[in-house]
Amino acid sequence: MRFLTFSLLLLSIHFSFSQDFNFSAIPKELLNNSNAVYRWDEIAVKVNSIDKMEYTIKKVVTVLNKHGNRHAYLGKYFDEQTKITNIGAVIYDSFGNKIDQIKKNDFSTRSAVDGFSLYLDDKLMYYNYTPIQYPYTIEFECQIETSDTGAVPQWYFLSGYLTSVEYSKYTITYPSKKFRPNIKEKNLDGFELLKTEKFNNITYEARNIQSIKKEELCPSFNEIAPILSVRLPEFSFKGIQAKVNSWKEMGDWINEELLKGRLELSQGTVETAKSLVRDIDDDLEKAKIIYSYVQDNTRYISVQVGIGGFQPISAIEVDKVKYGDCKGLSNYTRALLSAVEVESYYVHVEAGDEKIDFEDDFPDLLQGNHAIVAIPYKGQYYWIDCTSQVHPFGFLGDFTDGRKVLVVKPNESELVTTTSYLNSENLKRTSAKVNLDSLGGLEGTVSVQTQGIKYDQHFYLEGKTKKQVADYYKNYWGNVNNLQLESYSFENDRDSIVFKEKLNIEASNYANKSGERLLFGINPFNKNRSLPKRYRKRNSPFVIQRGFLDEAEFEIKLPEGFDIEAIPQSLHIENEFGTYKVSVEELENANTLLYKRYFLVKHGKFPKEKYKTYREFQKEVLKMDNAQVVLVKTKTN
Amino acid sequence: MKVNHLIILILMVNLGLAQEVKFEKVSKEMLEEKFYVKDSSASAVVLARKVRIYYDYKQKSGFQVIRSVKERIKIYNKSGFGYATIKERLYKGSGAKESIGSLKGNTYNLENGQIVKSKIKGSEIFVSSLSKYRNEEKFTMPNVKEGSILEYEYRITSPYAYYIDEIPFQYYIPIQEEEVSVSIPEYFNFKTAVRGYLPVSPVISSKSAKISFTSKSRANQGLPVSEGNNSNTMYYTINTSTFYMKDVPALQRELYVNNMNNYRSAIKYELQFVKYPNSPPEEYATTWEKVIKKIYKNQNFGNQIEATRFLREDVQSIINGMVDNQQKTKAIFQHVQNRMSWNGIYGKYSNKGVKNAYKDKTGNVGDINLLLVAMLKEAGLNANPVLVSTRNHGVPLFPTREGFNYVVASVEEGDQIILLDACNKYTNVNLLPTKALNWFGRVVYEDGASEKISMFPKTNSKQMSMMNVNLKPNGDIDGKLRKNYTGQNAYLYRNSYNQIDQESYLEKVENDHGGMEISNYAVKNKTDLSKPIVESYDFYLESQAEVINDKIYFSPMFFDTEKENPFKLDKRDYPIDFAHPWQRRYIVNIAIPDGYEVISLPENLIMTLPENLGAFSYKLGKRGNTLQLKTDIQFNTAIIAPQDYAGVKELYKKMIEKETEKVVLSKI
Repeated sequence: MRFLTFSLLLLSIHFSFSQDFNFSAIPKELLNNSNAVYRWDEIAVKVNSIDKMEYTIKKVVTVLNKHGNRHAYLGKYFDEQTKITNIGAVIYDSFGNKIDQIKKNDFSTRSAVDGFSLYLDDKLMYYNYTPIQYPYTIEFECQIETSDTGAVPQWYFLSGYLTSVEYSKYTITYPSKKFRPNIKEKNLDGFELLKTEKFNNITYEARNIQSIKKEELCPSFNEIAPILSVRLPEFSFKGIQAKVNSWKEMGDWINEELLKGRLELSQGTVETAKSLVRDIDDDLEKAKIIYSYVQDNTRYISVQVGIGGFQPISAIEVDKVKYGDCKGLSNYTRALLSAVEVESYYVHVEAGDEKIDFEDDFPDLLQGNHAIVAIPYKGQYYWIDCTSQVHPFGFLGDFTDGRKVLVVKPNESELVTTTSYLNSENLKRTSAKVNLDSLGGLEGTVSVQTQGIKYDQHFYLEGKTKKQVADYYKNYWGNVNNLQLESYSFENDRDSIVFKEKLNIEASNYANKSGERLLFGINPFNKNRSLPKRYRKRNSPFVIQRGFLDEAEFEIKLPEGFDIEAIPQSLHIENEFGTYKVSVEELENANTLLYKRYFLVKHGKFPKEKYKTYREFQKEVLKMDNAQVVLVKTKTN
Repeated sequence: MKVNHLIILILMVNLGLAQEVKFEKVSKEMLEEKFYVKDSSASAVVLARKVRIYYDYKQKSGFQVIRSVKERIKIYNKSGFGYATIKERLYKGSGAKESIGSLKGNTYNLENGQIVKSKIKGSEIFVSSLSKYRNEEKFTMPNVKEGSILEYEYRITSPYAYYIDEIPFQYYIPIQEEEVSVSIPEYFNFKTAVRGYLPVSPVISSKSAKISFTSKSRANQGLPVSEGNNSNTMYYTINTSTFYMKDVPALQRELYVNNMNNYRSAIKYELQFVKYPNSPPEEYATTWEKVIKKIYKNQNFGNQIEATRFLREDVQSIINGMVDNQQKTKAIFQHVQNRMSWNGIYGKYSNKGVKNAYKDKTGNVGDINLLLVAMLKEAGLNANPVLVSTRNHGVPLFPTREGFNYVVASVEEGDQIILLDACNKYTNVNLLPTKALNWFGRVVYEDGASEKISMFPKTNSKQMSMMNVNLKPNGDIDGKLRKNYTGQNAYLYRNSYNQIDQESYLEKVENDHGGMEISNYAVKNKTDLSKPIVESYDFYLESQAEVINDKIYFSPMFFDTEKENPFKLDKRDYPIDFAHPWQRRYIVNIAIPDGYEVISLPENLIMTLPENLGAFSYKLGKRGNTLQLKTDIQFNTAIIAPQDYAGVKELYKKMIEKETEKVVLSKI
């Protein structure tokens, strides 16, 4: 045993590349659509005990142009639990001649920045290398020691879009059967891959992976790229040990180790909470009041220190300063709910407008990046995001909707799918009554009513200043030149989650003149303004995550002294992507046009072959949305 | 010259009594206020602000600069919550560093009709290391909600006595009342400059102060000590300037402004000289001559362009056989441009020395462009460095070393001066990167003398399009397009697209033009920097005309029609900054489909702005079955003053009306 470990260690240190760093040795097909080529990409993980793990990263990357430089980034993040024992790099020119060497002493250290946290205690060791020619090759090596066996490095055989791989290798070695890792293989089909398992060592090798190009509406990178997720059934994380084989056990661990004892509040605050819900019996009503108290009295500030990256700050601390991150605010809300005897659960979730599920058979701490709260009521869950000061109770919006999340319940933790907002639930109804004058100017009232995800996209207008609101409409209706917002009012119905905008607008020169004629778009206020991109060759399937329904009805009063020369025709399209219906009619004796539009796009996942048809559909819609009315001056004899 | 007055005001000295900002007791009325009466769009407002800058003498370390800040902020709504987090970027050097100290503060809220105070702890400061030389220190106030009033005070102690940070008088939220005082011992002589549109006038006062020494040691900043005593006292004068301002409006962001900080009301201090009693004055900067001399004397500047011997051989082989100075200039420029790669770091000084940089083939801006000057000089050309402040760095207000952060090379040939920057692969003779096109630079001569030079290009950067279009009876078009880009347009094109593969680029162009289909694409001179970029291709694009019954309606510029006026505001306070003069021309030949005749054509239009600032023309003619459109828009100056704004806005409005006007065809 001892001998074996020793020899492995030797292997990992004196590893040598019997490789040609010459640029011309790269197979042609790997250069297509690539900014960088990973000639060699390897990580060797060695688990020594429950709280001792070391790993060595080695990569040789040839950068073809400036867009590939990030793949040659010389740096590594670390924290309290992690030590960089060695780091260094060698740079080669395109012929494989060594041109520079960077030693550990040349690297600098600075604090990590994530763009939204007030403070993080992670640090970064880095070296800024300036390429002096393209292509060039870096050989980067880095050795790490850590006690966080709960965060075994994942493996991306492909490091991103527009990069290819000549050789990629993942090795994990473990001391005994007890530590045999669970490995989840994702999207490995169709790649040249070799897996070997010895009694305490698992290795994956891949060769010649061509680059992938990111395309509009394509599934997330994680859904198409070959990836290994790796976890140990027994691990240590930030000094806390765990044994986890299911999401239930993961929930138990979170509950016992991270959440326990964090719900306590001062007597005064408990009293305050109770007084807020005095005379109310219904738990859901109570929960609504508590949530709105949290929204009115706290704000989101992220501070991540040590285990604080996973453990909430105690409710008592949040109560003192009235700010916290997602974990702290969720926990605080739960503390207040518990003070008024409403049951609630802490929820771990992967947030973002792209829906990403927790994996059923792979309980892993690193899958989530956000926390929310679930309130069970009459057999269903109501979800609240405590970091938002504006969202209505029970409304998640597109940040955490429709995806599998971990609901942490004492002894009954489970994966549950959050509320989804699909198709016609995402409704936008636009109506207008406007007058067109003889110079082409437009004036009148417009109203917009939104629900579901459309609500999420509109209701924040409520908090904007007058100038921001005016700028918003100028942009939102960018097709209407010279738009002036005369007045506006908003109505936010937080109970039924409907947002209503009522506006008075004016737009000079809306209609174009040409000689005796006036031309104007029949649909000023609910137009499809952009098309899905056209690809010469589409490679990936496409996904419509949520779908929506737009309904519009406009009455346009025409100026005196003009006759209608032409009006757009009616149209009805129905296909697997949705429905589009438009009609225009002349209201009798009113010199008024009535325009109606119905546009439904359904959620779904479609093969790449259908992309062209989908684009055709959108194009047809765009064309009809641009349809013009022609008026001509009445001839006076 | 005119442009200078747009952003710099003359400091008027007022000898009256200073008004004082008082922090009155926070009242219920203040907490209940729902919006700011003078600016209802403000998400927060600074109710009171007091900044004091003064010197403190420590026997061990000498003078320190202290900035004490006290601010009271009212938060009206959630958009204002950001003002509850205070950030300071601070300098750290070897051993000495700046830091926030003595933090005190409270958040005031109204709870059930009672004023409730929540205290911030002095220990709640987060320190992040941004780089070797910079830390960021932050704190955030507790219990912040809509309606809260925050009040905090802290001190920043800096060991860098020769440096006073720029002091802003204006924020992105309104300031109701503020007082800034700067107290400086007589030993330090600073020059001040004020920027922004707001009138600022300090009240000047002075008082005497003393320093007592408890031992016989000689203080390290040259203060004299009388002999033989254990206790000595130095008397000196402190001069104080106090600025009091009321109702400072929020700084408003606008389009076509390169750097809002150029317009933010602020004061800047620049050390001129230090003079301790009985010792000669130590000069820092007083005039441009002296500032430039100082810069020149810095061993990372002047020395770098003087010691050129090591370049002799290489220079000789580059210019071997050349007689023409322009030819030599170009050859050396290209050599440096090809050999050197910029490491992304700015700076007017050479970082590692041009000799090392030359060997390593990489360096900062100083390394590369001073190397360029050195080589040009070695070749016998009349070459000199030009100090520049980049667009992000702002406009140098007055003689100051910190005012410049960039350097380029110049060559004088007769009465012509050529500017060169070898840090980018796509710059050229007299074509600098856009970031360097900022107001004035200073040419630095060998003796340290200098001269002002405008950084704005004199020639228009052009985009010229020539299009032949066949209009189909169904409203689709096909045709050929040829585009030329010169000057900054070519520079931007090369920087953005030269390293992207053609297929991705074409997909972008196709999608920018509503799904156009492009074939037979060709581009010329991507790497031949002396010539314009020339793109040409065949295209096909649907739905470019409205076909209604027997008529066809279309705007003759089709997909290149300008549709939206970027200038929407009624009035503008800041100049429009285009960075360089420019011109866009189109020639469109349209073959109208057989069996149709023209029944209506937009009329021609020519519009010019006074003083040849800009012009737009639109000429549409018909010959047989072909229409020819010529349009031309140009702005002949990089900067347009606010008083000319209305004209520019009107020109754009007319242009858009004209370009969107339709031609009408009818079936014969």
